[in-house]
Amino acid sequence: MTTEHKKYLLKFKIEQAKIFFFQLLIIISFLVLWEILVNTGILSAFIYSSPSRIVNTIIDLIKANNFFIHIYITLKEVLISFILGLSLGFIIALILYECPFLAKIFDPFLTMINSLPKVALGPLIIIICGANVKSIILMALLINLIINIISIYNGFLGTNEYQLKLFKSFNATKWQILTKLVIPSSYRTIISSLKLCVSQTLIGVIMGEFLVSKQGIGYLIVYGKQVFNLNLVMSGIIILAIISFVLYKLIVILEKKLLKNI
Amino acid sequence: MNNLLEINNISKSYHTKEGEILAIKEINLTINKGEIISLVGPSGCGKSTLLSIISGLDKLDKGIIKKDKDLKIGYMLQSDALLPFLTIYENAILGLKIQNNLTKDRLNYVDYLLKLYNLDDFKNNYPSSLSGGMKQRLALIRTLAINPDILLLDEPFSALDQQSRLMISDDVYKIVKKEKKTVILVTHNIEEATVFSDKVIILSKRPAIIKNIININLENNSSIYERRKDKDFNKYFDLIWKDLDNNDN
Repeated sequence: MTTEHKKYLLKFKIEQAKIFFFQLLIIISFLVLWEILVNTGILSAFIYSSPSRIVNTIIDLIKANNFFIHIYITLKEVLISFILGLSLGFIIALILYECPFLAKIFDPFLTMINSLPKVALGPLIIIICGANVKSIILMALLINLIINIISIYNGFLGTNEYQLKLFKSFNATKWQILTKLVIPSSYRTIISSLKLCVSQTLIGVIMGEFLVSKQGIGYLIVYGKQVFNLNLVMSGIIILAIISFVLYKLIVILEKKLLKNI
Repeated sequence: MNNLLEINNISKSYHTKEGEILAIKEINLTINKGEIISLVGPSGCGKSTLLSIISGLDKLDKGIIKKDKDLKIGYMLQSDALLPFLTIYENAILGLKIQNNLTKDRLNYVDYLLKLYNLDDFKNNYPSSLSGGMKQRLALIRTLAINPDILLLDEPFSALDQQSRLMISDDVYKIVKKEKKTVILVTHNIEEATVFSDKVIILSKRPAIIKNIININLENNSSIYERRKDKDFNKYFDLIWKDLDNNDN
């Protein structure tokens, strides 16, 4: 390795470290400022809680054996809705890709459903499925499914026309074109769709938990609001932010593995 | 020479909401085994359409193409069309894999071509690590790997810089001559058509009809560099240019 390249790598590492340092600094400054403002009485501890109160609330939840159950319930609902949304989205996108006539018929309906605020369907979902986990999953599914269908379908449509022509010139079967070209070429779009899907699923699950749940992070937040325990509400929000960040990072790791050569 | 392909009176139209576009009109052409033919003509005149019809990728409206049902066609496109998620070796054998023809003979031939074009050391790399010229060479290997009876080259060098263009067109020329392959080349480049071909077919503006067929008789066949130096090169160049020039008037 040449000295210039070593210098370049060092410069790159220093820049990365600086970015991380400033990110950390923003978080710590925010938490410290929040704590000071609440402890000095400038902000109301009842309404705004504080980092130390949130930590204590989480410790109390752990001691009461409640903390991990709520996280587990929410994560389970997220995972089921995510897998269902992704699988159904993938299958429907494939059908639309293979049947352009069908795609033309459904195009306005997909756009219409996509722009509909799904929370408006909440009461209807509860009446149809009952006040149980099915309603939560259906709510999340309604939110993530259409986005999955649209983005995966667009990914399939974006397959390089020259590569398609090449496969046809080799007399490739429809199945070969699909499995060896169209699907692998759409990895990037599918991964982008996963990123969007994970956040949308979390929104759907929390929305569902707000409406019907007796467990889960969404329930914790609603319960906290009902009993005016805003420490619990803030704890729920912080836990949600951490879950969302971890899920997103998992998708980024998957993206790096799948797309390392593209 | 034996007839490899006989094109009889073929026509092709495209239909849009705005109307019908006649792309090619009543084209007759015979392609003999081992012959190298260039199709030249104004942009959008239907050269690539004709190639697509010959390959069977596009349907014709009228006429008939007589060819052996087992005729193997190798198609090389303007873009290298390499799959970025496959290694260089996997790209080279893609056609063989699709056609379920991964025999020892064919794989040995792929190895030979990879060595010949200095791609052997990059076998396990991905296309992103190759230059434009190397990518097009790999596309050539992929096309030759399936042992086609006829090579359809649709402006395969047009996206390359001048140096790569000359080098790769020379590679293609030498290998098709050595292996006595039949070739149909679509090009905009008169110089390329002159040095590459035994016969240049000049097409008119759309709808494409055959305006003229010029037989090229350059003495040296060892490389396109040598053919360019031939005393008759300019004569053929001018002939093609005049026919093409008349297209615009």
